[in-house]
Amino acid sequence: MKEKALKIIEGVLAQDRKALVEFEAKEILKAYGLPVPKEKLAKTFDEALKYAEEIGYPVVLKLMSPQILHKSDAKVVLLNIKTPEELRQKWEEIHENARRYKPDAEILGVLVAPMLKPGREIIIGVTEDPQFGHALMFGLGGIFVEVLKDVTFRIIPIEEKDAWKMLKEIKSYPILAGARGEPPADMKAIVDLMLKVSKLIDDLRDYIKEMDLNPVFVYPEGEGAVIVDARIILK
Amino acid sequence: MEKSKIAEELRPFFNPKAVAIIGATDKKGKVGNVIFENFKMNKERGIFKGNIYPVNPKLDEIEGYRCYHNVKEVPDDADLAVISIPAKFVPATMRDIAEKGIKAVVIITGGFGELGEEGKRMEREIYEIAKANGIRVIGPNCVGVYVPDTGVDTVFLPENKMDRPKSGPIAFVTQSGAFAAAMLDWAAGAGIGIGKMVSYGNKLDVDDADLMDYFIHDDEIRVVTFYIEGVNEGRKFIEAAKRITAVKPVIALKSGRTEYGAKAASSHTGSLAGADRIYDAVFKQTGIIRAEDFEHMFDIAKAFAKCELPKGDRIGIITDGGGAGVMASDAVAKFGLKMAELSEETIKYLKENFPPHAVAGNPTDVVGDTDAQRYKVAIEAFINDPNVDAIVIITLFQVPLLDEMELIDILADYAKKSNKPIVAVAMGGKKTEHYAKILEDKGVPVYPTPERGVRAMAGLVQYAKYLENLSFLPICWGEGK
Repeated sequence: MKEKALKIIEGVLAQDRKALVEFEAKEILKAYGLPVPKEKLAKTFDEALKYAEEIGYPVVLKLMSPQILHKSDAKVVLLNIKTPEELRQKWEEIHENARRYKPDAEILGVLVAPMLKPGREIIIGVTEDPQFGHALMFGLGGIFVEVLKDVTFRIIPIEEKDAWKMLKEIKSYPILAGARGEPPADMKAIVDLMLKVSKLIDDLRDYIKEMDLNPVFVYPEGEGAVIVDARIILK
Repeated sequence: MEKSKIAEELRPFFNPKAVAIIGATDKKGKVGNVIFENFKMNKERGIFKGNIYPVNPKLDEIEGYRCYHNVKEVPDDADLAVISIPAKFVPATMRDIAEKGIKAVVIITGGFGELGEEGKRMEREIYEIAKANGIRVIGPNCVGVYVPDTGVDTVFLPENKMDRPKSGPIAFVTQSGAFAAAMLDWAAGAGIGIGKMVSYGNKLDVDDADLMDYFIHDDEIRVVTFYIEGVNEGRKFIEAAKRITAVKPVIALKSGRTEYGAKAASSHTGSLAGADRIYDAVFKQTGIIRAEDFEHMFDIAKAFAKCELPKGDRIGIITDGGGAGVMASDAVAKFGLKMAELSEETIKYLKENFPPHAVAGNPTDVVGDTDAQRYKVAIEAFINDPNVDAIVIITLFQVPLLDEMELIDILADYAKKSNKPIVAVAMGGKKTEHYAKILEDKGVPVYPTPERGVRAMAGLVQYAKYLENLSFLPICWGEGK
């Protein structure tokens, strides 16, 4: 796990970068057994076409560039692509958008990803405190984190009981428990995610400064969770 | 850290065989004089059992005590040195102390790291001498140590200006010397017993983590309270905190609650993580109970000092005033506790033994014409009810038929023999305060409002739950998901 992650990190550092692109971040997450979608990085349209067939339509395209870290601002995430014809059209569009946003942006490829079914959105993050070291953050995504700042922290490494407490102590917990007639969310999957992030950071604490898994889709009990977008900032 | 090592290293601070007071003087009001007087008075009272060796190059004798010109000349039984000489002389004195072989030093003197580069350089020098010679240092820039049982008192505020609290099972640790002095004075007035107080100032060496490791094995201390301004070594703090909270409760008051705003963070998470949220995380994770203010801190400490831990969070309330019962019920909800649902037997028993106008329920209202025996019926029923984990007893001593001393004896008796925690609330003025004090001296923690009584109980519940969770069995990790 650690060797694979270090290889990716060293590659990024060799290019004099601190911010990993989503694809690189997800490779590290994958190495630690974290649930990421079946995605593939296409360098050419033919590759994209092939991967889209493998994954199955509808698909999502995400352009990977170290100079474009706020992908939605640059309009380089295109959703719900249903046919090969549409894929061709969106392939052109996504490159056009990138050029318009940052003409000199280096393009590492385009991530071809499955269109995920929506779930309840959570955020799991990591930050480094000067006194106590890395801390894990958990909260519900969207307005709960943006507006209400309804999040909670623990110092890494965390234990399983810490993860369960974090889950239950946010104010918006009833939404996960199924407040509006929904089935309860897959809590075990969330706890598992938190513990794996804790392990990952504990291993790589000398390299990683911050991390955002935002959003993570959580499905009903027994159906797991999947990390939709990920950012990792190196020291 | 293993018991014998830390216990032996820090022992001289709390129970020295003999103390060298470096900077002792006969000039009234000077720091070196107050500290000398403290030890001298405690020796005359028979509390301080060790020898006292004043050290001052200009004096041969202070108030009948031989004064030594250099610490190297004092007799060999000295195992603690207290320094209150100007900062620039401290490094040289540390070398003398090292040569003498004294291994515990309190540096009261200020004017070091807090005042710029030269001070920091001197601190480093002192630190290196200490490390090289196995010397433990409390301070500099502090008021040091206060232990009522052994007569150690380096607090340089004289007794006629600052009262000292009686002894008790609470330890109090603070960075700030001013806070230490104000708090000791206040605790004395409030009748709160402090077994050991440490003010460590600039924390050159001995820090919170060392003291936590020491207090784990200190049988005199049941609960440790911290006033924390900042932590230097976070990991060490967390490890030590986890060790001690598995054995005894720790309560912390952390200043600087307000967020210092978004730091230069490039992630979402970084921008949300203010220092205060991180401290909150540390306290939750290590089982430290966080107090809102120092009244809150000592309210909880007092409960820990006198009560058993509850088995759960279901609170039973007994009152002789309906309004006070409602206030207590509100507080139960506010602090995340539950109102106990009394068993049918309890209700039946209360109804059989109460006049018709008294209220059998939770709260149970023994009403304004109560006597002490009606309280006894209610307490007995609550203690025997398996649905009640903890009991808050509100007494308005003012009601006409209540024999105050009879009730006090009943409460003290049940508090002693019950394995459920019992706290009392007594609202009122001077007369109430008088009885509250008697009740407290008999071992029942008493609070002036229902809210504070319930909040203290919530502290006990929080810690009991933390301990329960320590034996939490993992059910998720390791499934290879």
